[in-house]
This record gives sequence, C-alpha cells and structure tokens, in this order.
Amino acid sequence: MFALVDVNNMYVSCERVFRPALIGRPVVVLSNNDGACIARSNEAKDLGVKMAQPWFQVRHLERQAGLVALSANFELYGDMSSRMMSLVGKYAPKQEVYSIDESFLDFAGVPGNLEVIGREMRARVLQWTGLPTSVGFGPTKTLAKLANHIAKMADRSPGSYPSRYAQVCHLGTASRAELRSVFEVTQVGNVWGVGRRIAARLEEQGIHNVLELMRADTAMLRKQFSVVLEKTVLELRGTACLDVDHEPAAQQQIMCSRSFGSAVTEISGLVEVVSQFAGRVAEKARQQQAAAGAVHVFISTSPFRTQDRQHSPSATLPLSSPTADSRVVIGAAVRALQRMYRPGFNYVKAGVMLVDLQPESQQQGVLDLFAPGDAQGSLSKASAPRLMAVVDTLNQRFGRGAVSVAIASNFNGGTQKAIAKQERRSPRYTTRLDEIAIART
Amino acid sequence: MSSYEPGDHPFARVGREPGADTTTLRASVAIGFGSPSGDTGVTRLDLNDLLIRHSQASFVMRASGDAMREIGIDDGDLLLIDRAIDPVHGHVVVAVVGDEFVCRRLSRQGPHIRLQATRIDCADIEAREGMTFELWGVVTHAIKALPA
Repeated sequence: MFALVDVNNMYVSCERVFRPALIGRPVVVLSNNDGACIARSNEAKDLGVKMAQPWFQVRHLERQAGLVALSANFELYGDMSSRMMSLVGKYAPKQEVYSIDESFLDFAGVPGNLEVIGREMRARVLQWTGLPTSVGFGPTKTLAKLANHIAKMADRSPGSYPSRYAQVCHLGTASRAELRSVFEVTQVGNVWGVGRRIAARLEEQGIHNVLELMRADTAMLRKQFSVVLEKTVLELRGTACLDVDHEPAAQQQIMCSRSFGSAVTEISGLVEVVSQFAGRVAEKARQQQAAAGAVHVFISTSPFRTQDRQHSPSATLPLSSPTADSRVVIGAAVRALQRMYRPGFNYVKAGVMLVDLQPESQQQGVLDLFAPGDAQGSLSKASAPRLMAVVDTLNQRFGRGAVSVAIASNFNGGTQKAIAKQERRSPRYTTRLDEIAIART
Repeated sequence: MSSYEPGDHPFARVGREPGADTTTLRASVAIGFGSPSGDTGVTRLDLNDLLIRHSQASFVMRASGDAMREIGIDDGDLLLIDRAIDPVHGHVVVAVVGDEFVCRRLSRQGPHIRLQATRIDCADIEAREGMTFELWGVVTHAIKALPA
C-alpha cells in the first residue's frame, strides 16, 4: 500500500506556524521579486486569487479584503520541509520525497490499520512542526495521490466528499460501491499525470470523470494518447505500474534524489553526488524552459541503521535571479551542502530540488549591480543560454555526463547577493540566529 | 517495522547504543586522530544530543524581558523549545498571545489555563475572546552567554 502525504498550502502553512494570527485570514506568498502569487491559503483561493496570478492584479484585495501578501522565504520552507519529511519517513520502510511538500511512502509489509497510522502520523506532524497535512492511501501511487486529493477536498469543502475521508483517506479499504461513487464525482483533471490538455481531449471523447476514465479502453488510450496514460488507467484500476522512486514526468517541480549503494561519510563524495544531481535538475529545467528562484538540497542518514547517529539536514539557497544555468545551480547546491555537512555521519541519501520555478520568459532583466566584475565575467549571463544549449547537445549525443561543471575547491558559482526584491519576507526563524523569534518574558 | 511507538525508537538518538555497557564506554579513551565514529562507537559529546530530544520538533527563540528571571531566564537568553512534549501544569511554555510569542509558566487547573510570570507584580495572562491564544511549545532549556 502506498501513501502520499503533503502539506496543505505549504508556504502559507509555514508562515502561519510562526504567525498564528494569520490563521483564518487570506494569505498569499509572492515569488522572487514579489511578482506573482505562488501559494495561496484557502481563504485567498476563495477570494478568487489564481495560482501564479501577478501581484498587481490582486493588490487591491489587500485593502478590500484584508489579503496578506508575504515574500517567499525559501530558507524557512526548506527547513520546515525537511522536518516534515524526516518525521513521515519513520512510518514506512520506503520513502520518496517527491517535492518540497509531498512524499510518497511505501507501506509494503507494514501491519496494522493504515488509516489509524495515517491519522497518528498527521497528528504528530501537526504537533511537532505545526504543519497541517493531508494523507491519501491507495494500492498504487496514482490512487494514493487521488486519495490525497479527496482527503484535502473533503476537509476543505465539506459536502464535496464524505466527511470520513477528510484529512486522511484510504481508498485501499473502500468497497467497490464507495469507490464508484467517489470516482464518479471526481473530474479526470484531478488524476496524477492528466494535465489540462489531456483532460480537455478526454472530455471531447466523453470521458469526464475518473470512473469513465477507468472504464476506457486502454488500447485506445495508448493509441490516441500515450503509454503513460494507459499506465495511469491501469494504476487507477489497482495495478501498480509505478514504484517508489519511479515517477512519471512531472512539470510542477524538478527534483533529483537517490539513495546511495553504500553510506558516504566524506564531504568529497557528497559534493560529487550533489553536483551531479544539481546538473541533472538544471538540465531538466532547461528542457521545460523553466528557471528556478532557489535551490533546495538535503542529505540524510538512515533511520533504519539504528546503530548510527542520525543527521538529516537540508538547506535552501535563494538565487539572485531565476536561472537554469548549471554552473549557478551547482554552485549554490554545493554551498548549501558545505553549510550543513557534519563529519562522522553515514549519509545514505541526497537530493537536489529546484523551487520557485517560473517560465524562462517571465524572467525580468534585473541589473545585477552587486555582481563583481571578474566573477560574473566567467558566468556571463549573455552567453549562458548558448553555452548551456551546447552542453545539453553534447550530453544528448555522447551520453549524460559527457560534459559537466568542474567543481574547483574554491568554486564560488557566482556570488548570490540577495538583491531580489523581498520587501515582505518574514524572518528566517529556523536558519538564521539573528532572525529567530523573540519570546517576551 | 515497529517504529510507530514513539517510545520504541527515540527519534533524536543520544550518541551511544541503547543498552550498551556505559561503564566500558566511559573507560575507553580515543587515542589518535581517527574518525570520531571509529570502531569503538565512542563519539564526542554533542550538544545536539544532550539538549535536543526531538530534532524535528525543536526550535530556538530569544527571551526578551525580565518577568521570568526568578526561574533563571534573563533578557537575551536563548530558549530551546520542544513542540513534541505535551505541556502540563508547571511547564515553562512559549505561547502565542495576540501576535506575539510569550514565555510563561503554565498553570492548569481543570479547564482553566493561565500563563504566570515568576515576577510577582506581573499579571497572569488568560485566554480572551477574539484574541489568539495558543500554547506553542515547551521550553526545555535556557542558554545563557556568560562573559568570556
């Protein structure tokens, strides 16, 4: 049985942990340079604020509806994410961190009532970190993801689904009749891997809800759509096609993480892995014409090697301007690693994630006034796209890794002075000593 | 898999095996400059292990004020807060009152929750209608910097 755990409105929820007065109020989090809304509280969604909507379009709601807008605080989100990830990772033998706020868990071989375990896990994450989560269980990853959607909607809009599914929904133990009634009221666009375009094409064929999608002819789907959609339907029917650590092409987030064959203790080994992962995610970002506003890196020891001391830190470095330049991404990832590495631990897993993704075209030309002439010369922005295109072509022709960025010992991948406009950023409560919260005594 | 009982596997482990023979560990001396986690399993004392019981639930704040001085919390001290501990009567807690964090001793009599300063002339804080009032975490340590 698989589970998908995710944090409700992650960025807003992180802000609310340290400012509980924001609970119940409409809140949005703005992207780099305070340009667009990249996270919305339920109250903000109810006001009609759309995902990625430019801030100037909703600015009037500040006065009219008490909308609170905050600049993104990726260091805070990254740290809160790693707390939540390492907590839920204790509940199942296999974990796949899928994005900054989502994790798949493989419960194969775990005895007991999973719904009870899921509710216990949710309560623990809420108490320990302050973050509210939704948990979905299902015999396949696609069903777990759908169960998660149901858990969230049942909680958020009572009446949309039976209230017993609120917060934690287990589709693996539901009866056929229950499944049918749930699938019938769920639109195909809510299924993992069914994007807006595919959903529209399915609608044209008369396939509107999940029940109709499940009953569709897989041979037809493969022929008219893709093998991926065929697999999605098989997964909806309960045949697992996807393993933990085996994901369909995702567009929302870009992430590369893997468990090592054997434990790594030296920083040199970690630098190698992390820079390789960082190069991969930068390449993926370029393929999607996306640019990242920040890089999130984590390393972790194994909670199942109980004889080992545990250390599972993470760090998020904001980039001065959004980029998919391998050199900048790798430089930031390595600096994040150097900041959190501690000797003497057996690390078994590492990951690099690009966050605050935005379309490449949306990037505004920011004059990098603080860029030192020389350092910036080697990372000249004007030549970067061409250079990266050449790197990608060479790697495609000669195999991945044919060309990569050399990590010199004093590598300093472009000094990232924080010039991004972040006028409304909350303090970095958990990663900077001079920004920790004040408790009045 | 038996990691559902919090008591079974303490999440933040101290630097030695549970049940290991502590006397032999104490007696052994690490010689040379090898890795701190060598064959003997002896590791240098680590404040993370000593002060932090639940790493994912631990947060740091700074005290500001003198209403808790009698219990040893001075202006400027670092407060270690553990959200995994259920607050009970007598605990020093951090609570959210309105839009600020407040550090007080928790007094719980039946359904009545009050936050008490240790300084006598300081009024108790109680939940009021329309004001955020929420226990946030239990203060486990106050760290004081001495002139050095």
